[in-house]
Amino acid sequence: MVHKIWDQQKEGNWLRLLRSGDHGAFARFIDKYKEMVFLCCRRLGLREDEAEDVATETFLAAYNGLSRYSGRAELSTWLWSIAYRQAVSYLRKNRRQWQFEAELDESRQVGSGEEQEPAAAIQGKETEKIVWEAVDRLPRLWAVAIILYYREEKSIIDIAKIMRAKENTIKTYLFRARGRLKKALAQALGEDIDVGG
Amino acid sequence: MLADRINTDDKFDEMLGRALRSSSEPVPADFTKKMLRRIRQADEQKILAHVILQERLALAGCIVFGAAAIVAFVAFPGAIAAVFQSVAGSFTQRGGALVDRIPQTIETVRGQWQIYTVFAAMAGFAVYSIVDLLAGDRLRTA
Repeated sequence: MVHKIWDQQKEGNWLRLLRSGDHGAFARFIDKYKEMVFLCCRRLGLREDEAEDVATETFLAAYNGLSRYSGRAELSTWLWSIAYRQAVSYLRKNRRQWQFEAELDESRQVGSGEEQEPAAAIQGKETEKIVWEAVDRLPRLWAVAIILYYREEKSIIDIAKIMRAKENTIKTYLFRARGRLKKALAQALGEDIDVGG
Repeated sequence: MLADRINTDDKFDEMLGRALRSSSEPVPADFTKKMLRRIRQADEQKILAHVILQERLALAGCIVFGAAAIVAFVAFPGAIAAVFQSVAGSFTQRGGALVDRIPQTIETVRGQWQIYTVFAAMAGFAVYSIVDLLAGDRLRTA
C-alpha cells in the first residue's frame, strides 16, 4: 500500500515535470515508451524509416499535448492512441490501399504460403519467435488488437478507444486473430489443437 | 512440447501473453537523442513564432492607432477640437478647479460615446502593443 502511494507520488511528480517542459523528464518518458511506439508503427505495416518518422511525430505530439493530458487514462494508453492515430494517418496519406489491406485481407493465411517453414524447423525455434511470426501474418488491425490485449494488457474499452472502433469490433478482431493464431501454431507443429473459443 | 502447453484456452492465452511480452521491438540506438534535439528545435521555433506574433501585433497596433487618429482628425475635426478644448480649458482656465470641469467633460463624452469608445479601445490596444514591444520580455521573465 505504502509502496503504491509512493509510486503514485513519483508518477505525479514526474508528470508535473513533464508538463512543465523538463527535457530530462521527457527523455525518461521517451526511453520508457519508445519501444511501444515503434511496436505500434511496425505492426501497422510501416517500414523502419517510416516508423522512425511516425514515432518522432508521435513524441512531438505528446510533448505538445502533455498540458492537455487529463490523467484519466493511463499514460501508456494515451500515448498508444496518439501513436496509432499518427501511424494510421500516415498510412492513409501514403498508401491508398492500406485500409483495405488492414481490415479485409483474409488471404494472409497465418502459417501458410511461401513463408511457411517445415514443422521440424519451426519446432526448433523459440515459442516467442513462432508467435511473433504468426502475429506478423495477421491483418494489421487484428495484430494491433492482439498486442494491445495480450502484451500491453489493455481492456477492450481501452483498445476500442485507442483504435477508435466499437467494442464489438475489437472483440471480433480478437476472436478471429486468436483463432488464426491457434490454428497457425497447431499447423506449425503439425498437430491438432482445438481452435475454438 | 508446445502443443501440450496450448491444449487449453487458458494455457494458450497465457502462452500468447508471455510470448508477446518476452520479445522487444528494435529501436534506433540514438532515437532519444534525436528526439530531444527535435524537441529543442520545436521549442525554439515556438518561442520565435511567439516573438514574431508580438512584434506584428505591436506594429499593427501602432499603424491602426496612427491611421485612426489621422482619420478622426480629418472626419471629425469639430468633435476632436471640442474634446481637446474641453480638457485644455479645464487645465488652463480653471487651474485647480479641474474637478469642477469633469461633469462638463463627461457630458461631452456622453454625447458622442460611440466615437470615444472606439478611440479608447484603439488607444488601449496601442498602449498594450507599445508596452509589450518595449518591456514585454522583461515582464514575462520577471
